[in-house]
Amino acid sequence: MINLPFNQKPSTLMHIDLNSCFATIEQQANPFLRGRPIAVAAYDSPSGCILAPSIEAKKLGVKVGMRVKEGRLICPDLKIFSPDPNKYRSVHLALKKLLLTYSESVVPKSIDEFVVNFEGYPSFKLGMFNVGHQIKSKIKSEIGDWLTVSIGIGPNRFLAKQAAGLHKPDGLDEINHQNYQDIYSKLSLTDITGIKQANASRLNSRGIYTVMDFYNSTIYDLRSAFKSITSYYWYLRLRGWEIDDVDFGRKSFGNMYSLPKPFTNPADLAPILHKLVEKTTYRLRLSGYQARGIHLGILYRDHSFWHHGHVCHSYLFDSTDIYKRAFRLLLSSPYRQPVANISVSVFDLLKTNNLQLELFQSIDKKDRLAKAIDKINHRYGQFVITPAMMLQTGDLVPDRISFGGVKEIDLFQI
Amino acid sequence: MPLKLDAPVTVIFGYDAHKSVVKPLIIKWDGRQYKIIKIGFHHTYREGRTLFHVFSVASNTAFFRLILNTDNLFWRLTEVEGD
Repeated sequence: MINLPFNQKPSTLMHIDLNSCFATIEQQANPFLRGRPIAVAAYDSPSGCILAPSIEAKKLGVKVGMRVKEGRLICPDLKIFSPDPNKYRSVHLALKKLLLTYSESVVPKSIDEFVVNFEGYPSFKLGMFNVGHQIKSKIKSEIGDWLTVSIGIGPNRFLAKQAAGLHKPDGLDEINHQNYQDIYSKLSLTDITGIKQANASRLNSRGIYTVMDFYNSTIYDLRSAFKSITSYYWYLRLRGWEIDDVDFGRKSFGNMYSLPKPFTNPADLAPILHKLVEKTTYRLRLSGYQARGIHLGILYRDHSFWHHGHVCHSYLFDSTDIYKRAFRLLLSSPYRQPVANISVSVFDLLKTNNLQLELFQSIDKKDRLAKAIDKINHRYGQFVITPAMMLQTGDLVPDRISFGGVKEIDLFQI
Repeated sequence: MPLKLDAPVTVIFGYDAHKSVVKPLIIKWDGRQYKIIKIGFHHTYREGRTLFHVFSVASNTAFFRLILNTDNLFWRLTEVEGD
C-alpha cells in the first residue's frame, strides 16, 4: 500500500459525455440554430439560470449557472430556450439503447453521461478506440447528426471521466499506465474532477501544488490534507484503481421549485407546496416506497436559507398526510420574507408492499384511495385528479430534469 | 425566438416502405404551403396512456414543431420560427 504502483490493467471503462447536452439537442431539433450561440435556461426571464449554453455560446464566455441577463451582456444575440425534458429524455434513452449493443454494463451517471464497462464483452476485442469512433458515428447516423460526445477511456471510472474532459467537444482520449505522467503534468489541481478550490487549498496546505505532487504524495500526506477516508480514495483513483463502482441507492425523493413571484405569505405558498408534495409522493408510491422523514427547505430572496426536517412515528405514503406535516414545517419557519425557492423531500425510506395497520384510522382504505388516484392519473395524465388546494397552480412547478439524478428516467420509456 | 402556439395544422405525411421512414412532407399553415426538407428530431412522450409523436422539422425558410396525437391522429402546431 505504501508504494502502490499505477494500475497496469488494460483500459476497459468508457465515459461518454454528450457535449452541451440540452443546447445541442435544441440545435439538433431546429437546424436554423446550428452554429449559433444559444442557451437553455430554467426560465427565459432576465434572472433565469442558464442550464446549458451551446458550444458556440461557451466559446464567447457564456457559462452554466449565469443569469440570462449576464449571458446577454456577453453575447447580445444569445437566444434563450426553456427546457424540453421529453426531448432530452428521448436522446438519453436512445443513447443508452445504442450503448447497450456494446455492453450490458451501462450505467447512466446523469442525463448526459454514461459509464460503460467493456470488461469481458466481445466488443472489447474491437479495441476501445475503434468502439469509441463507432459510437460517435452511430450517434450521428441513428440519433442526431448535430450531436457530439466526448469519450474518455481508462482503467477506472475516475480516469475515464477525466479523459473525457481532456478535449471538449467531440474528444476521444485515454489515460492509462503509459501516458498518465504526461497528462497529469499538463493539468492543474482544479482540473481534476472532484478537486475544486476548497480541496485544492487543503492540498496546498500540505505542500501539494501540482497533480504530479498529488500523485507522488504518500497516503499519510493525503490523510493529513483531507483528514478523512477521502485520502485513501484519492490515492487509489489517481493510480487507476477502482473505488467509484458504487451504487448509492435511493435515499430520498424530492422536488424543488424556483418561484416566479416572491410570495411571502404561507397561504400563497401552500398551493405550490401541495403540488411539490403531490409530485414527490406520486414518485414515492410509484417506486414502491413509504417514508418517515419530511424535509422542507426555503431559500429567501435575500439569499438566506432556512430548512427543517421532521421524522414521524409511522411510515407515510399518502399525499395529504405528508402535506399536512410539510405545511406545519412551513408555518414553523421564523422568517416571513419573500421566498425565492422552495423544496420538499421525504427521507428515511422503506420499500414495502405491506401496510402497518393503525388503531384509529383505516390505513388500507387510504392505500386503496391513493392507488386508485394514481391509476387514474397514470391513465389520463398527471394531475387529472388533484386536491382542490392545487387548482390555482396551473403551469407552476413544471416538469424538469434534475442535475445528476436519473434513477427514474426509465419510467419514461415507451 | 420561436412563436409558441397550439393550433391545428394540415400535414401531409408519408411512409416509405423501402427506407422504413415516416415523415411529414408538407405543412399547410396560415394560408401557405411549406415543403419539409429536414427532420431535425423526432421524439415521443406520453400524457397518461396517450402517445404523442413530436416532429421538429424545417422548410427552406422556417422551423416547425408538430405534434401528432395518436389517439385521434390530429396534428397540432406548437412552435414556428422564421419566414
